[in-house]
Amino acid sequence: MHIVVCLKQVPRDNSVKINSDLSVNTDGIEKIINLFDEYAIEEGIAWNEKHGGKLTVLSLGTDSWVEQIRRALAMGASDSLLLSDPAFADLDTIAAARVVAAAINKLGDVDLIFCGRNSTDDESGAFAPALARALGWSQVTYVGKMLDLNPAARTLSAERHLETTIETVTATLPAVVSVIKDINSPRYPSLLKIKKVAKVDPPVWNAADLGLTGLSVATKIVNRVPPPPRPSGERIDGPDAAAKVKKLVDRLLESQII
Amino acid sequence: MAGVLVFIEQVGGEVATISRELMGKGRELAQALGGPLGALVVSNDPGALAERAVTLGADTVYTLVDPGLASYTTDGYVGAAKVAVATAQPVLILAGTSFQMRDFGAALATDLDAGLAVDVTDLKVEDGAIRAIRPSHGGNVISTYHFTAGRPVVALVRKQSFSEATAGARGGSIQPLTLPTLDMRTQVTGVREKGGAVNLTDAAVIVSGGRGLGDKENYYKLIPPLAEAFGGAYGASRAIVDAGWVPYEHQVGQTGKTVSPKLYVAAGVSGAIQHLAGMRTSRNIVAINKDPEAPIFRVATFGVVGDVNEILPLLTRELRSRLG
Repeated sequence: MHIVVCLKQVPRDNSVKINSDLSVNTDGIEKIINLFDEYAIEEGIAWNEKHGGKLTVLSLGTDSWVEQIRRALAMGASDSLLLSDPAFADLDTIAAARVVAAAINKLGDVDLIFCGRNSTDDESGAFAPALARALGWSQVTYVGKMLDLNPAARTLSAERHLETTIETVTATLPAVVSVIKDINSPRYPSLLKIKKVAKVDPPVWNAADLGLTGLSVATKIVNRVPPPPRPSGERIDGPDAAAKVKKLVDRLLESQII
Repeated sequence: MAGVLVFIEQVGGEVATISRELMGKGRELAQALGGPLGALVVSNDPGALAERAVTLGADTVYTLVDPGLASYTTDGYVGAAKVAVATAQPVLILAGTSFQMRDFGAALATDLDAGLAVDVTDLKVEDGAIRAIRPSHGGNVISTYHFTAGRPVVALVRKQSFSEATAGARGGSIQPLTLPTLDMRTQVTGVREKGGAVNLTDAAVIVSGGRGLGDKENYYKLIPPLAEAFGGAYGASRAIVDAGWVPYEHQVGQTGKTVSPKLYVAAGVSGAIQHLAGMRTSRNIVAINKDPEAPIFRVATFGVVGDVNEILPLLTRELRSRLG
């Protein structure tokens, strides 16, 4: 079976700045694989080890993402693919999902796609559902446990971990599954494997390769600002811990916070 | 295309708070857009939900009632919503931001080739067009979205962004619609409550602990009792979740939950940027830390410099005696 894992590169933390053209400036912040995507990679590797076939790590990004793709290869992905084109630069989530869907259709033999539940920078969680609908496939989001993947019956079953409940669902393949942090413990690639993939360059497909012209987006960001600063706080002082505690509770009650 | 359509979520047969908030804002936006306010009820057993939506000010409540809609499935609920959208032709579709609604909203927007904004905290109409405001990057970036004309917009709105609709029926009607035969590719075979789960995103008070507590035993000795004294829930920093002290469900931050309670108490939490991302929009923040330079103090409404091991038991006792 052919499993694809979608990978996004994100800044390690969100101490970002805003450029004058409204793009987000992540200069000086280390770039990493989106944390939830690491769990998706691990899940892909585990099922690939069980059922064999191909495990492709796929990114829609730029050359500067190759380091993350290599890390996924070192973890255990068998193949890689980078979708890159200047025309992909300003896509919104749904348009990006349509590009990835075009690549999946071109690959032709994909049975299952794992994604992280959301990226830690944009945080919308819209990519996996948008990809599933763009492909016309089943979707199973917020999966905390994959119970079964049956290539012969073309089905999967999984637990969706929602706010207060856990749903058990079955779905037909092909499917898009988004995973949460609880699902597994991503492996660390060995130094040997890291060395082995250090010079691997993923094949790159651009818009023309995918037969995409005139990509359109339905959203446009017209303003971006940092959050308003929080009003400066009040230090609760006192001669000892008991006095501080009493004063804190006084202030919480006076301010009708409790 | 005209007007607004609100997806009604239900909790125990009642209209969920988020949906009442959306009906309130939906009325204002429908007026600004010069169109009707519709509500959408999708269920196998809607009870009096449609009538309730009428009293919340809907001009028309579209209902899709079918045994196949007993549980949420993307195919079932998006399929149902598309029937209502085809009938109502709204320019704006509003829903909440629960996991289920994110699954639904993004799928619906893709099918409709609509504009999508998730985690919206404000909406307005300018020059006849919809504008959505949403935070990203852990609240460090606040973006304003415009949408391409001629396409509908799906906006998934954060809780407590808007005031609830004040019940005031406008003589709206209920219009039952028929669910077409759908290809249901997923099936819900079981639902269970999460054992001991707290819905952190619903709690009015959250007490979170971090590495400053020293060890797991101390966390459980100090944090849950304090949370209980406040009548709240307890959370944790990523550091101690990764260290295995506390289950992931309790993690607040960039890779955990985003919360904005009335009061957030950070005890022994240094305030790493990943943690601030999940709680900086709390209305009030109390920080307790022995390091006066800890970044958590920069967002604190009230800061107490001191040893959590000394302060937390005193605070729990003080609250118990004064709050009864």
